[in-house]
Amino acid sequence: MQDTTQILIEFIEENQEKLYRIAFSYVKNEDLALDIVQESIEKALRNIKTLKHEEYVKTWFYRILINESLQFVRLNKNTTLCQVEDLKDYIEWNDNITLDGIDLYNNISKLKEKLRTVIILRFFEDLKIEEIARITKTSPNTVKSRLYKGLEELRKLIKM
Amino acid sequence: MEEIKKAKEVYKSIKIPSRLESCVKDAISSKTNKYYSFRGLKYAMSTIACTFVVFIFFINVNPSFAVQIYNIPVLGDIARVFTVKEYHEDDNLKLINAKIPAIQNTGNTDLEQRINYEIMTKMNEVLKEAEDRAKSYKEAVIATGGKEEDYVPVNIQVDYEIKYSKDDIISLVIYKSETLASAYTETFFYNIDIETGKNLTLKDLLGEDYKGIINESIFNQIEERSKDQNNSYFTADEGGFTGIEDEFQDFYINQNGKIVIVFPKYAIAPGYMGMQEFEIDKQIF
Repeated sequence: MQDTTQILIEFIEENQEKLYRIAFSYVKNEDLALDIVQESIEKALRNIKTLKHEEYVKTWFYRILINESLQFVRLNKNTTLCQVEDLKDYIEWNDNITLDGIDLYNNISKLKEKLRTVIILRFFEDLKIEEIARITKTSPNTVKSRLYKGLEELRKLIKM
Repeated sequence: MEEIKKAKEVYKSIKIPSRLESCVKDAISSKTNKYYSFRGLKYAMSTIACTFVVFIFFINVNPSFAVQIYNIPVLGDIARVFTVKEYHEDDNLKLINAKIPAIQNTGNTDLEQRINYEIMTKMNEVLKEAEDRAKSYKEAVIATGGKEEDYVPVNIQVDYEIKYSKDDIISLVIYKSETLASAYTETFFYNIDIETGKNLTLKDLLGEDYKGIINESIFNQIEERSKDQNNSYFTADEGGFTGIEDEFQDFYINQNGKIVIVFPKYAIAPGYMGMQEFEIDKQIF
């Protein structure tokens, strides 16, 4: 058991920036994203006993993180989280950043929860379809169809 | 789809706050703040927890034993506050662990009855609310296409800590937390004068100018703590500290006999800073 905890802690420490970016992409707010990361870690450490296979530490933790993020989104659904203008403050500007990119990134928040999650994990975090299936507790085929649907809706939103 | 790569560039450029690392470290070591989470509290209390178990048992079966320990200085402090009800419930909706305190052996039975009834009523209400929230959350999970097994039962905990118990004064804090969301961590404060049977107010303790004294001290402490870049308090515009509440300001009395003013998580600083406490440097007892 000690080993699984150790693996989890190492995973968290090595990937903390990724974890933050995922949480941020849901809530678009620095303080909330930090809170989510923190809550997720505490929750994971508290429930580590329920994890049977240590090779699933990564997907297991991602699932907790995403559930936490979605809970915050649901609790705060009446507040507008972030305007495009505000988003600029949260980005480290470089030459690869385009306004189209910002627009698209922002529009992902308009997708339904399930579509949003697969898009973030697949296109931003480059996770494998199988991994996403495990995180979202669905089948690889469902993930594929959600990806397709997510992209389609995004196209409609930004008319590309 | 090429465009999604442009969005990925944005995603990759999201600024990482400098506090992230310390937040992660704190969460791993769970030392964010002793009062920040329930677990921290449990660790803090674990040393006296065993004592409690034994005491409750004896106090309940043998009143004369309770009277005896009251005469022993240190032990007597603990014996005046004890767990009246331990409550465990575990089903597929929630996991409740509640430890509800009551006071006894104070020599003022009217007061004991009133306070104990107040605490019990409040805690029943709180547990009921938490359970309702768990229920609606479960319904939401299922309504949004989740399966029964996707739902993780909500963990509800109630525990307490005796902050001060000497002579005629008892200062008691009850903590309630739910794993559903950190926003549902609640804290209840009881500062009781046994002789008069009154709930102590800040005005009783500090006099007419209590607001001035407290506000000045807190403003100074916020300024001092803000020198550490890991601490960021809300500004007045953001809803930060502008002065204490008239009647409902939370506080307790610590072991040094000083007042500690408490603000819940999110009240005057971002959530990662946890609950905020300020000791007012004036000897009360």
